[in-house]
Amino acid sequence: MSDNKYKLKDWQDLPKGGVIPEGGNAADYETGTWRTKRPVWKEENCIHCMTCWTFCPEEAYKLRDGETKSGKPRKEIKEVDYYHCKGCGLCAKECPINKKGDKTAIDMHHEET
Amino acid sequence: MAEAMRQINPEVVAAFPITPSTQVIEDFAKFVADARVDTELVTVESEHSAMSACIGASLSGARAMTATSSQGLALMWEMLYIASSMRQPIMMTLVNRALAGGINIHCDHGDSMGARDAGWIQIYSENNQEAYDNMVMAPAIAENAGVRLPIMVCQDGFIISHSIETMQIEDDEGVRSFIGERLTEHSLLDTDNPASWGALDLADYYIEHKRAQIDAMANAKTVIQEVSERFNEQFGRKYELFESYRLEDAERVIVAISSVSGEIKQTIDTLREKGEKVGLLKIRVFRPFPYDEIREALKNAGIVAVLDRSASFGAYGPLFGEIRTALADLENPPMTYNRTFGLGGRETFPSDIADIFAESERYLQGGKIEKVSDILNVRGD
Ligand code: SF4
Ligand code: SF4
Repeated sequence: MSDNKYKLKDWQDLPKGGVIPEGGNAADYETGTWRTKRPVWKEENCIHCMTCWTFCPEEAYKLRDGETKSGKPRKEIKEVDYYHCKGCGLCAKECPINKKGDKTAIDMHHEET
Repeated sequence: MAEAMRQINPEVVAAFPITPSTQVIEDFAKFVADARVDTELVTVESEHSAMSACIGASLSGARAMTATSSQGLALMWEMLYIASSMRQPIMMTLVNRALAGGINIHCDHGDSMGARDAGWIQIYSENNQEAYDNMVMAPAIAENAGVRLPIMVCQDGFIISHSIETMQIEDDEGVRSFIGERLTEHSLLDTDNPASWGALDLADYYIEHKRAQIDAMANAKTVIQEVSERFNEQFGRKYELFESYRLEDAERVIVAISSVSGEIKQTIDTLREKGEKVGLLKIRVFRPFPYDEIREALKNAGIVAVLDRSASFGAYGPLFGEIRTALADLENPPMTYNRTFGLGGRETFPSDIADIFAESERYLQGGKIEKVSDILNVRGD
């Protein structure tokens, strides 16, 4: 598809009955515009338990390949994708480091307006 | 009706019993039990589920049918709109019955008239032959690529649904070749081509989808005419958007829907013998409503009495509103008035029809409608 992908279509050009004849195109939807609070991930305190990645409804935690202290390959958190993160705060709520309470691995900051 | 359903042989029928439509599904269930159809009969726990099951089945590409009446249709309400906005050509036999309160099993059109804005094609049948014929035509109309809308074929509860008439049933081969196969663009079961249905549709697109539905309904008018023409060629029974009975030179006309037309025709024949110029316009297709064709058919009439078999509380009857609207664009529109009748199965006799024609004559001579709307055969008036 060309640059026109996001141009709103005329009624004649729509598939009948509102069907979306394409898989996985929720990825194109910028839920990041909904965000009023921004999760800030702190690598230094993260144990890469994947809880935030599991709970995030927008699959906004991006992964990278890494390894454990003993050298076994594993997936690690790489960054938050702010195009999709809608600021719901679930990740910060569920993070076990945050729950323990002496330090945090995800902080929720108000978005600058 | 069950016989037409057997011949259509839909992949899925989902229904919940309700008088007087129960008989349709009882008969059809026997066809399923006797393996005379290939249908999956889903005996759901409510009409809401019946329509939901039909929608799911239809999205997968199946022909899906249901039958209901009155409260059953009312319970389907939410899903009626989903079916039409998803553009699923689901077919329904609606046996018209009054709506509660005041529990009543007899005929009036309150159920289907309430659903007239749900985006379904509505076709009404005067007798069993018409109900059968309309149902045989239903798949070809609903599934047409330019239409793709659900369709309800209506007939009067008990008066028609539980009466025995001689009628012509066509042979299975003929009917099956007439209706052909259903073609679908997208199927829920096509895992190689995943798609989403029923997505959020807000201010940026909802109105475009509704616009497309309006267009599909407009196309349905032409398609109904084409399919009716093809039906006539193959089976030799002629149907138009409405039936004109001795209408050509009629000065006084009644417009009505469904079984009461029998009494009206009988009365017209009697009055015609005395030289009175009376006629009937019998509605067949109510959605889409054929405004232009009706205007053309009634343009020379002097007075038109419109019979509504349902009440719109605080408004004129639904049919009357349409007829007056259709005629309003004429330079010299005929006089029009509205009579509500037969609610909850209240009898209407040929003498009542003769009275209406006499009343029309009085209004026509006096040049004035004394009572625009009134109710027939109600005690106390
Ligand atoms: S705030 Fe919500 S959407 Fe954003 S990364 Fe956390 S869980 Fe995902
Ligand atoms: S939940 Fe917390 S500790 Fe676990 S991976 Fe996410 S940020 Fe790291």
